[in-house]
Amino acid sequence: MEVYEKLDQIKLEAEGHIRVVKTLHALNEVKSKYLGKKGSFSEVMKLMKDLPKEDKPHFGQVTNEAKQVILKYIDDQKLLIEEAIVNEQLASETIDVTMPGKKFETGNVHLLTKVREEIEDLFIGMGYEVMEGPEIEIDEYNFEKLNLPKDHPARDMQDTFYITDETLLRTHTSPVQVRTMLDNDEKGPIKIICPGKVYRRDDDDATHSHQFMQIEVLVVDTNTSMADLKGTLLETAKKLFGEKREIRLRPSYFPFTEPSVEVDVSCHNCNGKGCNICKGTGWIEILGAGMVNDNVLEASGYDSKKYQGFALGMGVERIAMLKYGINDIRLFYTNDIRFNKQFK
Amino acid sequence: MKVSINWLKDLVDVDVSTEELAQKFNIHSAEVEDFYKLVEASNLVVGYVAKKEKHPNADKLSVCQVDIGGELSQIVCGAPNVEEGQKVIVSLPGAVLPGGFKIKKSTIRDIESNGMICSLSELGIDKKYHNEEGIHVLNDNMTIGNNAVEEMFLNDEVIDFDITPNRADLMSVMGIAYDTAAILGTKLHLKEYKVKEGSEVNPVKIKLDTKNCMSYYARVIKDIEIKDSPRWMQSRLIASGMRPINNVVDITNYVMLETGQPLHAFDYDLLESDTITVRMAKEDELLTTLDEKERKLLASDIVITNDKKSVALGGVMGGMSTEIVPTSKRILLESATFDPYHIRITSSRLDLRSEASTRFERKVDPKRSLLALEMATNLFTEYASGVALKGISKVDNIDYSEVIIELSLEKLNSYLGSSYSLELVIDTLIKLDFEFDVMDNIFTISAPSRRRDILTYQDIIEEIGRIIGYDKLPLTLPKTVSMGKLSERQLFSREIRKVLSGLGLNEVITYSLVNEEKAYDFTKEKTSLIKLAMPMSIDKNVLTHTPINGILDSVKYNLARKNKDIMFYELGKKYEEKGETELLCGALTGDLSSTLWQGRKEVVDFYLVKGILETLFKKVGLGHLEFVPMSDYKNLHPGQSAYIVDRNDTVGFIGKLHPSYENTNDLKDVFVFEIKLEEMLKRRRPLKKAKAINKFPSIYRDIALVVNTEVSSKELSDSIKKSGKRMLASVEVFDLYIGESLGKNKKSIALRLEFSDPSKTLEMNDVDSRIREILGHLGKLHGAQLR
Repeated sequence: MEVYEKLDQIKLEAEGHIRVVKTLHALNEVKSKYLGKKGSFSEVMKLMKDLPKEDKPHFGQVTNEAKQVILKYIDDQKLLIEEAIVNEQLASETIDVTMPGKKFETGNVHLLTKVREEIEDLFIGMGYEVMEGPEIEIDEYNFEKLNLPKDHPARDMQDTFYITDETLLRTHTSPVQVRTMLDNDEKGPIKIICPGKVYRRDDDDATHSHQFMQIEVLVVDTNTSMADLKGTLLETAKKLFGEKREIRLRPSYFPFTEPSVEVDVSCHNCNGKGCNICKGTGWIEILGAGMVNDNVLEASGYDSKKYQGFALGMGVERIAMLKYGINDIRLFYTNDIRFNKQFK
Repeated sequence: MKVSINWLKDLVDVDVSTEELAQKFNIHSAEVEDFYKLVEASNLVVGYVAKKEKHPNADKLSVCQVDIGGELSQIVCGAPNVEEGQKVIVSLPGAVLPGGFKIKKSTIRDIESNGMICSLSELGIDKKYHNEEGIHVLNDNMTIGNNAVEEMFLNDEVIDFDITPNRADLMSVMGIAYDTAAILGTKLHLKEYKVKEGSEVNPVKIKLDTKNCMSYYARVIKDIEIKDSPRWMQSRLIASGMRPINNVVDITNYVMLETGQPLHAFDYDLLESDTITVRMAKEDELLTTLDEKERKLLASDIVITNDKKSVALGGVMGGMSTEIVPTSKRILLESATFDPYHIRITSSRLDLRSEASTRFERKVDPKRSLLALEMATNLFTEYASGVALKGISKVDNIDYSEVIIELSLEKLNSYLGSSYSLELVIDTLIKLDFEFDVMDNIFTISAPSRRRDILTYQDIIEEIGRIIGYDKLPLTLPKTVSMGKLSERQLFSREIRKVLSGLGLNEVITYSLVNEEKAYDFTKEKTSLIKLAMPMSIDKNVLTHTPINGILDSVKYNLARKNKDIMFYELGKKYEEKGETELLCGALTGDLSSTLWQGRKEVVDFYLVKGILETLFKKVGLGHLEFVPMSDYKNLHPGQSAYIVDRNDTVGFIGKLHPSYENTNDLKDVFVFEIKLEEMLKRRRPLKKAKAINKFPSIYRDIALVVNTEVSSKELSDSIKKSGKRMLASVEVFDLYIGESLGKNKKSIALRLEFSDPSKTLEMNDVDSRIREILGHLGKLHGAQLR
């Protein structure tokens, strides 16, 4: 029965061989060494013809079993090798995921644009149209039609860059209101917001700028009231400084409105308790407003017996400075990237 | 306007604290800038220096035995002017002086000191109100041991108001009293004055030769004795922010502060005339004003004359020649009304803003002229031993008719959006002390002369609204129904900002005013500049012709701060006589992005900036805009700049700054662009209909062409498109090679051509023959050789 011994021996030898194989290629070689045409099993099979007939089935069965065992060894080893290959790949491809990613520089709009659009969108949502106009204006639209005749003392309040006696750099966006009223052929209701650059003859310092951005709002209709102004102001204050804000109106004076008010918003920093931002008062002055003076309506062809309106105007820089705690207005115009880029 | 609370309380009942009063004024009347105690000090008494000895251990110190009311207290004093027999201000141990300075019992060079003898400055009275160096000496009649601050009439509080130009009435304690009464609903105590005249008759005649002086009242007062004004008056002047001078000046100031009517006192003997003529000045007439400056006058200035020469600039400042001096005996006291406009132009031209001119500019109450004259005359009698001559000299051309205003309750409520009752409105008008009738809910109100700002029903609504309080108004929104929207142009601007910001550019906003010399830096046509009549500096004297000027300033600012990667754009304007043109501009330099450890970075060059613009154009329906070489902008690199065109129309430009410009401006490799916004807007070709996708496969062919360097890629592409006809779906440059092997002045451009047919699969033969045609044309037109 040395045939069977031989089979056992082959099995043993094959196991030893297969278990140490490290590559798929070597595994194939080992496979053909034992199971190939000229392999060890072929040799053993040759011995079968010399066996007695009755022994042949048993021998075939045993041989086949031995073959299956070796194939199993090969499959097992194949899995091991494949796993090792993948592991090796993983190891070689492992990176430091904490290294910084590729930089994509996203740009941004200017903070004044951001705040301006925020305010525009609030008013668009309330049904206002955004109107713009020229920065070089005529005296008549910038002053005279706004109840500021040539000898009016309040002209001192806004020192003006004149170009000629009759043309100037607009000192506010109110002339856009005049233009809109004049252009309204039916002299019907108006609901507009007028943003834009304006100019005053001021020396530039931390709180003054010869150029700045203003937003003015005008509503004219037969039933527009000061309570409407107050409601609109509260919406504006909440949108800009948060839902919890309250407003306070104080008497003031502007030639184009009557009554005129200064509008304070409860301090967003201390919630009205008093801090250094609101100078301990709990209130911050944010804008001026009022009911449109009849002279202004009439100067632009509106019948003041029929119509009444309100107007409000704010400086975008001031709003942005309060909102973001900026203490120098010049920062808006020097455009230091480190400053501008903060406002995404 | 600083107001003494004690003074105010003379004229009106005040039943609230100063803090509360200040808050109420803020809400109902005028803005309060500040309120404070006039002297913030405690534990100060009147002391009597009973004995003064030299300090044994210090040359400059004295040891004083001071009677502080029944007991002697030893105090070491360093002031050289302390003397025995003086009544002085003593701060006792425990006193706190302004600035939190605490007084304690102490030992000064071995001598015990129980407090301090004070100067005015130590009480917090600013040097601008006095010129005393040492300790302050009190009046003999003060009671030893009493509170010194009270004895000095300094136990006062002050509210500092910011008065708007319309509220001329609030430029007086009387005016503040009227509003106090209206706000608090308390009672006014108005005073009337009856002058005791002497027997001598006032001989002065008044002539008004200009309508710009509307009324002129004058009295002559003789036997005047110039001395200090009483302490109470001095203290009130200090509280009001005015420095006490002498009784004559102080009385005129005091009366002005109380009534709002400016007065002027002339030395009647120096006037040398019994006639006062008010007229407009003659051109170039000279007058030396009280500040010792000689003024050259214009015909728009009002002058007071002695009928021969001018002696004062009416309503603005008195003249030197008739100034009150210590020896003055007889004064002429003027109480007049001048035209606000002329006062304003004179005072602003001469930069002479006095307390008087500020009040005249805002219109004074004409009814106060006589009141002020009489009040002052009484004070002269009482505190300057004066005797008033009999009779008042006057000319009064004022129209005293009242302004009558009608206002219905309905209009009031519609205007304010309120539902105030008739009773509430009546009550408010009574508080305001306005005269009115009411019938069928319609008010007929006569505006008081002190409120010359009240002319229309809107003014009345403001008065009622503010006194009731705007906090009582409901919160509503306009009932006007309308659609909120942005115009197409505004939407377009927003989209441009969105795209460019998304591509990594940062928006800037720069100044529109620039230096005239730089205005044409990026302009080809030198249309006239818009210049300011009175610029503040030559660096900002004209309106710019392109935002590039401002953007480059911002670039330089950043480079100077080592911010070297700059991707700026701005939506600004070009300002010309014919109008304002909106421009999209930009300047880029440095690296657009970099991930250094990977060795990757995108350096700004012509093609990067061009690519950004092309991306923008595609995104906004302007993919058809083209770039054509340009070399005629003086500050742009002639080899690296291009017009941006739509067929034959130029809409903008792009280019690298010229090396010479870069050198003079300390810049390097900066690329700029400028495009007209309006042109972009109107040339958009938005997608109207979806295109079908070709279901047959395309065939791609790559060709490399050798041409002379001056042949542009665009020329090649254009020719290829033309001869490729409809079969050519696209052509794209994918390589550029310049090298020795090609020969001098040669370059190789490689292009990928895509052929397709929407109706069938193309045959290789068709494509090959089309390629041959294309190559034939390229050879003929551009001398292009297949590489």
